[in-house]
Amino acid sequence: MLRSSLLVTCTTLGLGGCVTSHVEDARETVTGLNAGESVVIMAKSYHGGNETESDYITCVEKALRGGSDGIDVIPRQRFVDRLFPWFEPRTVPADTKGLPALMKRPGVRQAVEELGVRYIVWLDGDTERVAEGGSLSCAAGPGGGGCFGFAWWQNDADYEATVWDLDDFESAGSVTADVSGTSFLPALVVPIPLIARTQTKACKGLASQLHSFIVQ
Amino acid sequence: MTNRLRLALLPGIAASILAGCSSTVAIDMPTIPEPRVEKIPVDVAVRIPAEFYNFVHTEDVLGKSKQTIELGASNANFFRQLFGHMFESTIILGPDDDARDYQFDALIEPSIEGFEFSTPGQTQSNAYSVWIRYRMNVFDRVGNRASSWTVSAYGKSQKMGLTGTDSLRRAAVLAMRDAAALIIIQFEKVSKIRDLADGPLDPASVEPETRLAGTMAEPEDEEPASVIGVFAIGGIDDVAE
Repeated sequence: MLRSSLLVTCTTLGLGGCVTSHVEDARETVTGLNAGESVVIMAKSYHGGNETESDYITCVEKALRGGSDGIDVIPRQRFVDRLFPWFEPRTVPADTKGLPALMKRPGVRQAVEELGVRYIVWLDGDTERVAEGGSLSCAAGPGGGGCFGFAWWQNDADYEATVWDLDDFESAGSVTADVSGTSFLPALVVPIPLIARTQTKACKGLASQLHSFIVQ
Repeated sequence: MTNRLRLALLPGIAASILAGCSSTVAIDMPTIPEPRVEKIPVDVAVRIPAEFYNFVHTEDVLGKSKQTIELGASNANFFRQLFGHMFESTIILGPDDDARDYQFDALIEPSIEGFEFSTPGQTQSNAYSVWIRYRMNVFDRVGNRASSWTVSAYGKSQKMGLTGTDSLRRAAVLAMRDAAALIIIQFEKVSKIRDLADGPLDPASVEPETRLAGTMAEPEDEEPASVIGVFAIGGIDDVAE
């Protein structure tokens, strides 16, 4: 009954699934971005079990770059290649304590300065399907075909962006996005998908908060 | 007549079904960027084994019959780039070259001990993974084995597109990059190759199964005392110091 009411509400509100989101930040130091300074968005290492999707990272990069007050975001592959082998999944610094020593390695500080990178943003988390249900069946015959039934599924997107300041080699804080979306697929001859863009919402929300966090 | 026709067609149909169930992925040539490290002041010769010019791995994948990965000459290209970046001077030896005809401080012989991969269907995930295990044998200039080291590398790439071919390709290249990172960071410490610039090993410290590098053939069954396996994950600090 509750789910049916929810479906009607979502359908009325714009032919999409239902999404609830919660985005917040935790600041540790004062931030800011001067002219000529940039950020790089990195995924935490998969050696440590992280599974952040590459299209999510690309989405955050694009969202940060976008708009009239967009931030200069260095492509992560360029950053990783220029600093090879120090930002490979196996060798990435585990925390900010290793940064001063890393900067003393041959050519590392020079490469960071040439790229103008002030902040490294480490993304952690992923989008997962946490529940699904309903049933939908389709059939086709000489006289035509059609589907009948109702299916739904819920995706949860939990991401955390940790910001490292390369000016003073410390963590500036973090931004988290916790988004839950339920999609519906009712079918009465023709299926009508009401898709919740959970990951996209998590991307936009996190990028927007991250922009405010960095630029202040 | 009809039965004969059916019998004649049967192998063709069977071959088509089997071909439909197997797939082949050719791996791109990896590019190893210039590393941010100081070159090791040692003149090395690198013997690229014949298998590095045409490496093919075939694996039975549940529900897919056979999956073949053709690494081609990517391993030869990979080690040529890598050691070119790491050492002051590098000579590349072919499988048939006699090392005694060349001047060097140390001879490095890489080989592949293992290659494995997993598909999203096998791991119930959305990613392809590739594991490569290399063996790095290091000899001094007269052919005494100085060290033998196992490098275990891992690459993982999320599924992109319907076939996943690009993802598997990317996972293999990432595994090679992972091996490169580990070799760059740990090679000097593990192999003590810098010492070989001062001359061959002290005869007293040489392993009993000393061989001439130029006559190196099959890997021995028993591992020498200097065999080292390293597999480190994440946040390597000051290991090259």
